[in-house]
Amino acid sequence: MILRFVKKQKILSVMVLVYLTLWLLNLPMVMEALNHTGYFIKEMVEIMPVIFVLTALVEAWVPRKAIENSFGDHTGFMGMVRALILGSLSAGPIYAAFPVCRTLLKKGASVGNVVVILSAWAVIKVPMLANEAKFLGLPFMAIRWLLTVASIFLMAWWINRRIQAKAILDLTADDPVTAYGILSIQTDTCIGCGVCVRLEPDIFSLEEGKISLKSRPKEDLRERLQVVALRCPAKTIQVT
Amino acid sequence: MFIMLFWILTASALVWSLVRDKKRTLSALGMARGMMRNMVGEIIGILMAIGLLLTLIPTSAIQEVLGGNQVSLATILSAVVGGITLIPAFVAFSLAGSLVDAGASLVPITAFLTTLTMVGFVTFPLEKKAFGLRFSLYRNGLSFVMALLIALGMGVLL
Repeated sequence: MILRFVKKQKILSVMVLVYLTLWLLNLPMVMEALNHTGYFIKEMVEIMPVIFVLTALVEAWVPRKAIENSFGDHTGFMGMVRALILGSLSAGPIYAAFPVCRTLLKKGASVGNVVVILSAWAVIKVPMLANEAKFLGLPFMAIRWLLTVASIFLMAWWINRRIQAKAILDLTADDPVTAYGILSIQTDTCIGCGVCVRLEPDIFSLEEGKISLKSRPKEDLRERLQVVALRCPAKTIQVT
Repeated sequence: MFIMLFWILTASALVWSLVRDKKRTLSALGMARGMMRNMVGEIIGILMAIGLLLTLIPTSAIQEVLGGNQVSLATILSAVVGGITLIPAFVAFSLAGSLVDAGASLVPITAFLTTLTMVGFVTFPLEKKAFGLRFSLYRNGLSFVMALLIALGMGVLL
């Protein structure tokens, strides 16, 4: 249990360990760090539920065609402008943009436009601009805004020519789905029932209560594997 | 204020969605939950790292880097510091404002403000998980270079 948690949450586990160690060595320091962290966690709690619902709603209701037409590969300059507006109207820190942008990418937005949304989300939010003008003056804010927008567009164009949306999506599935030849396996959903092992003991095994592959199946096993996929109650196994 | 608006808008949209098609809404929420569950633990870990970082690098140290005498060196250092740390924007702007009032050069301050938000050293693991290594390297690397160019541009224009 603990081991699996540590394996899955490496960063969190390391940080908890660091904090615990520091707590023994230097209590005031930990208190100050926790104070800072608390601020950021509050920020996260404020925004992540909204992002969570928003992502789901986009997933459910916005048709692929609409995203393609607004942010797809052939929307050119107007697509970038729309991406810029969307990013600028957002709220929350940059990591809140990741799930939203992934969903957009999945629905046909171009890589370049995702770069624009992400960057605009991070740098040029409306409330932040007001703040910048207040502390550093309107000319400073305006010129920095212009230069930033120009460089974001340039960057988006450059990255768009070098990375394909499909490559990103294949690399980074939502729940780690791993492809093994003709099989794709979503380990997270496995309930460890063992049906697959009983049907094909040469291919599947159970490790720590989760599905594991003994060998990488080839095309000639397709039909037999389809039977397994059909019997898998959690739909962990898919034949592609 | 801004965030309140988001909550209200999103909540109304959710109600609309539930009324229109409950099953579809719930299944989409289920999918989003999987995505979130993978992220939240990591986000909290990263936030703890940032908290520690801000304790180790106090504001006074950042102030010193930003107001460095040698402008070119200070600019690069400021860009690096901005890329590593994550400070609430209003804190950063008031810090920058007070430095400018004290007579510091605008160039390193611009570099700092730009990398602060655009380059995410600490959020890199999250970005990598969402978009892969190549995308994250390109975006952050280019953003860093762009921030330096923006800072230079500000120096010329202002």
